[in-house]
Amino acid sequence: MGYGRSDSYRVATTQDKDKKESPKKKGGKDLDDLKKEVPITEHKMSVEEVCRKYATDIVQGLTNAKAAEYLIRDGPNALTPPPTTPEWVKFCRQLFGGFSILLWIGALLCFLAYAIQAATEDEPAGDNLYLGIVLSAVVIITGCFSYFQEAKSSKIMESFKNMVPQQALVIREGEKMQINAEQVVAGDLVEVKGGDRIPADLRIVSSHGCKVDNSSLTGESEPQTRSPDGTHDNPLETRNIAFFSTNCVEGTARGIAVCTGDRTVMGRIATLTSGLETGKTPIAKEIEHFIQIITGVAVFLGVSFFILSIVLGYSWLEAVIFLIGIIVANVPEGLLATVTVCLTLTAKRMARKNCLVKNLEAVETLGSTSTICSDKTGTLTQNRMTVAHMWFDNTIHEADTTEDQSGSSFDKSSATWVSLARIAALCNRAVFKAAQDTLPILKRDVAGDASESALLKCIELSCGSVKAMREKNKKVAEIPFNSTNKYQLSIHETEEGNENSYLLVMKGAPERILDRSSHIMVQGKEQPMDEEMKEAFQNAYQELGGLGERVLGFCHVFLPEDKYPKGFAFDTDEVNFETDNLCFVGLMSMIDPPRAAVPDAVGKCRSAGIKVIMVTGDHPITAKAIAKGVGIISEGNETVEDIAARLNIPVSQVNPRDAKACVIHGTDLKDLSQDQMDDILRNHTEIVFARTSPQQKLIIVEGCQRLGAIVAVTGDGVNDSPALKKADIGVAMGISGSDVSKQAADMILLDDNFASIVTGVEEGRLIFDNLKKSIAYTLTSNIPEITPFLFFILVNIPLPLGTITILCIDLGTDMVPAISLAYEAAESDIMKRQPRNPLRDKLVNERLISIAYGQIGMIQALGGFFAYFVVLAENGFRPYDLVGIRLNWDDRSNNDLEDSYGQQWTYEQRKIVEFTCHTAFFVSIVVVQWADVIICKTRRNSVFQQGMRNKILIFGLFEETALAALLSYCPGMDVALRMYPLKPSWWFCAFPYSFLIFVYDEIRKLILRRNPGGWVERETYY
Amino acid sequence: MDLVTLVVFGSWLAPALASAENADKDYDSAFEYDYESLRIGGLVFAVVLFVLGIVLIVTKKCSCSSDKPRPKTPDEETAVPIAQ
Repeated sequence: MGYGRSDSYRVATTQDKDKKESPKKKGGKDLDDLKKEVPITEHKMSVEEVCRKYATDIVQGLTNAKAAEYLIRDGPNALTPPPTTPEWVKFCRQLFGGFSILLWIGALLCFLAYAIQAATEDEPAGDNLYLGIVLSAVVIITGCFSYFQEAKSSKIMESFKNMVPQQALVIREGEKMQINAEQVVAGDLVEVKGGDRIPADLRIVSSHGCKVDNSSLTGESEPQTRSPDGTHDNPLETRNIAFFSTNCVEGTARGIAVCTGDRTVMGRIATLTSGLETGKTPIAKEIEHFIQIITGVAVFLGVSFFILSIVLGYSWLEAVIFLIGIIVANVPEGLLATVTVCLTLTAKRMARKNCLVKNLEAVETLGSTSTICSDKTGTLTQNRMTVAHMWFDNTIHEADTTEDQSGSSFDKSSATWVSLARIAALCNRAVFKAAQDTLPILKRDVAGDASESALLKCIELSCGSVKAMREKNKKVAEIPFNSTNKYQLSIHETEEGNENSYLLVMKGAPERILDRSSHIMVQGKEQPMDEEMKEAFQNAYQELGGLGERVLGFCHVFLPEDKYPKGFAFDTDEVNFETDNLCFVGLMSMIDPPRAAVPDAVGKCRSAGIKVIMVTGDHPITAKAIAKGVGIISEGNETVEDIAARLNIPVSQVNPRDAKACVIHGTDLKDLSQDQMDDILRNHTEIVFARTSPQQKLIIVEGCQRLGAIVAVTGDGVNDSPALKKADIGVAMGISGSDVSKQAADMILLDDNFASIVTGVEEGRLIFDNLKKSIAYTLTSNIPEITPFLFFILVNIPLPLGTITILCIDLGTDMVPAISLAYEAAESDIMKRQPRNPLRDKLVNERLISIAYGQIGMIQALGGFFAYFVVLAENGFRPYDLVGIRLNWDDRSNNDLEDSYGQQWTYEQRKIVEFTCHTAFFVSIVVVQWADVIICKTRRNSVFQQGMRNKILIFGLFEETALAALLSYCPGMDVALRMYPLKPSWWFCAFPYSFLIFVYDEIRKLILRRNPGGWVERETYY
Repeated sequence: MDLVTLVVFGSWLAPALASAENADKDYDSAFEYDYESLRIGGLVFAVVLFVLGIVLIVTKKCSCSSDKPRPKTPDEETAVPIAQ
C-alpha cells in the first residue's frame, strides 16, 4: 500500500490482493491512509467511463455472472463490525486491571508467606492463608461486580442496533430486482427513491428531483440535491455521488455503485474509528499514580523493618515473613470495592439524569475535561429547519424558534401576514402524516422537504389548520421547484365571494421572486415596487442571509377574472398564464435553531473553565450564526474577518492576536501545519471549525490533546465517530445519534440534550473530590492497623491487633462510611473553578498521605494502643511488664506465665485476653474512625459549615457501630472470629482520641482557611 | 417514632432484667464477670443502632421520592423529537 488509495482504486484487484496478503501488518499505515481524504474519482469521470471501468451497462446493468464474480471478489456490501472483545477478555480486564493488580500481589505474597511458614513451622498460624484467600475473594467479587455493571450498560447499547435488513433495487441483465443490500456489488445499477437508504456509494447517472440527507456524513441539516453532473472536485461536495447509508429524502435517482461495504466513504470512517487506539482514562492514570505511592510506602516500610528485624536478631525467614506481612498490611483491602461502588453510584445518578456511561471510569472524565469539541447539527441544534425570521411590511419579524413555543411571538394583525401565511400554506407540498392529531404540532411527523415542513409547521402554529386552508383553496395547477427556475408555483381556486376565481402563489429564491414582481404588499395594500423598496429588500435579504439562514421569497397574484374565467385550463408545461408582474409579499428565513438549553449550558461550561469549540461539517456562515446564538462566540468578540470588515482593511493587515474568536474553513485547515494549528488552538478562546471532514475532526481532537487538554467530543453523526473514539470521552446522542457514533462513544446522552453534559461535568468533578475524601478516610485506618505489628516486632509485646480484626475493619466497618462520602455535597461551587490540571492536581498526593498516615493515623494508633494497654492492665498485665514478653506469651508449653500481680496464666487464658485486646483495639479504631469520617467530609470547610445533611453518612456511622457491637457481643464470635465481649468501659478508651482528631483537624482547616496559600495549605491541603 | 421509643426502652430494660436475675449470685467466686447480660446488652445496642440506621435511610428515601419527580418532568418536556 505504498501508493495512495486513489491509484489502487483503478486497479481494484491489486488493492484487494494487497489486503489479503497482509491485513494485520499494515495496520498502522492503513490508519494513516484512512485519515486522508476520500479517494473517490468517479465523480470526475463521464458515465461511460464509469460503465467501462466496472464492465457494466447503463441500461441493462451488470450480468448476473459478473455480479456474482464481483461479490466473491469484494465480499458482501456490509460494514465489518468492529472487532468485539470476547467476554472472557473483558472479564479478565476487570479482574486484573488497575487497582486489582495491587490486591493480587498482596494475595500472592500472603500465600508465599504461608508457604514459608508451613515449610518451617510445625503448626503455622493460618492468618496469612486466610488473608490471601480474602484478598483474592475481594478482587474476584469486585471484578464480577464491575463486569456485570458494564455488561448492563453495553446491553443497553446493543438495543440501539438496528437489525432490520436493508433491501435495494438493482437492475441486472435489464431486469429490476429487489435484493438484499448486502448483495449489491460495485458496478450494479441501483435505483433509489424517496425514503430509501442508499445501499452503496453511487455515481448518479440520472435523477428526478432527488434529494439526499447527508447530515450524518457531513453535518449539513438541509437535504442536498443529487444530479448526474459533477459540480466539485471534492467527492464529498459534488452532486453526482450519493453515499452509502445516507437517506434519500425525496425524488428518484439511478446510479452505478462505485464502492461497497468497507470501501465506501462511510465504511472508511467506520474502519478508521474502530482502528483508533484510545488512551487511558484520567481516573485510570490517577489510580495508577496512587498505586505507585502506596507501593512506595509499603515497600519502604517493609524493607526498613526487614533490616530492623535482622538487626534485632530475628532469623532470615522470620524477617521475610515480617516483610511480607508489613507490605500486605499496607494494601487497603476495601478500597477497590469502595472506588468501584462510588463510581457505580455516580454512573447510576448520571443515568437518572439521562447520561448513560458505557465505561465506569469514564464517569470522572467529564469532570477533568478542559476542552469540549461539539458537533453542531443535532447536538447544539434541534436538527430541524424552523422559520426563524420573516420580512414583510418592511420590517423583520422574529418567529418563535424554541422547542416548546415559549418564546415571544410577532405581530400577526397585519394583512400582509395573512397573505404571506396563505402563500406559505398553499405553495407547499409538505403534509402532516396521518393520525397525529393528538401530538403537539412541533412533534408531528411531516412528509416533505425540510424547509417546506418548517413553513407548514410555522403556519399551522400561527394560523391554524393548513389542511382546512388548502381545502378552501383547491389546487388546480402546480410547477414544482427545480434548479433552473428556482421557484415553485401553484394556482388555487379562491374562496367564495372573491371577485377573481384563481390565485397564483409562488415561492423561491428571493432574487428570482423579486425579478418577477412589479408590486409589493405593505400593510395589506399593493404598492408599485420602487427603488427604495428594492433596497429595503436587499438589506433584509442580506441581513437574514448573514444570520446563516436560508431565505425564501413569496409573492402572489389574483389572476383577473376576464382573462382566466372559472374552469380555465392551466397548462404547466406550456405555461399559458402570466408568471410576471406579481405582487411581492415577503421573505421567510429558516434555520436549524439551537436547542433551548444550549446557550445556558455553554455559559456554564465557560464559567467552569472549559473551552467549547464547534466542529461542524456545515457552512461557515451558518456555523458562525449558531455559534453566536449559543454563545460559543460570545457577544462582542470578533473574528479576524469581522475586524477587517469593521476597520475596512484587508484581512491580512489584522493582527490575529486581536481576535479572540475565529472561524476556520475545512479547506484552510487542510493547508495548516501542526505549529499553525497549535497556534490557533492556543491563542483563540472561541473557535469554530466549519466544513470539516471526519478526518479533520480527528486531527482537531488530536491537536487539542497534544496541547495537554483533556478533550470531550460530542456528536451524533458517522462523521463524528473517529473524533468520538479518539477523544478522552466521546459523548454521543441517544435519539438522533447513528449506531456508529454510539459505538465509538463512552457516554450517551439519552435525551440528546447538550445541557446534560454540564451535569456530567458537575458529577465528574464531585466524584473526583469525593473519591479523594473516601481514599483519605480509608487510608487513615491503615496506620492503626500496621503499627501493632510493628510494635509486636520491635518491642516484643503480645500482638495488639490480628489479621482477622484488620479485615473486619477494612471490609466491614469502614466500607459504608467510605462509600457514604460519595454522597457528600460539594464544598463550594465546583462549576466556578478551573478544570483540574492533570499534571498537578492528583487524586492522591503526598499531602493526602501525610495527613492520613502521618497525622490522623498516628492519633488513631495512639487511641488503639491506649485501649490495648487498658484491657491488659485491667487483666493484670501492666504496660512496662509487657515489653519483651512475646516469646513466653506465644509459647504453647508455658502455662504458668505470671502477670504483674503474680497471677499465673495458662496459654489458653492468655490468648483469650489477647483476643479481647484485639477486639478492644478494633472497637477503638471504629470509634476514632467516627471522627475521621466527619473530618473527611470536608477538605477546606468546617464541618459546621458543611452540615450533616448526608444521611447515608449518618447511616454509615450507626451501621459501623452496630457491626462492631455485633462482632463483639454476638454469641459464637469467640469461636468464629476470635472476638470477645468488651466491658462497656473499654468502648470509651478511644473517645478522647476521637475528640482530639476532630479538634486537631478543625484547627488545621481553620488555619488553612485563614491563610490562603500559607504553609498549612501548601503542606496539608490534599 | 413509636417503634423507636419502644426499642430504646427495650434496650434499657433488657440488661436490667438480665442483671436482676443474677442478683442471687455467689459473690465469692473469683474473676467471674457477667458476660451473659453484657452480651445481651451489647446485642440490643447493636440492633437498636441498626434499626435507627435503617429508619434513617427509609426516611431519606421518602424525602427523595417527593423531590425527584420535580426535576424530571421538565427534562422530559425538553426532550426533543426530531421531525423528519
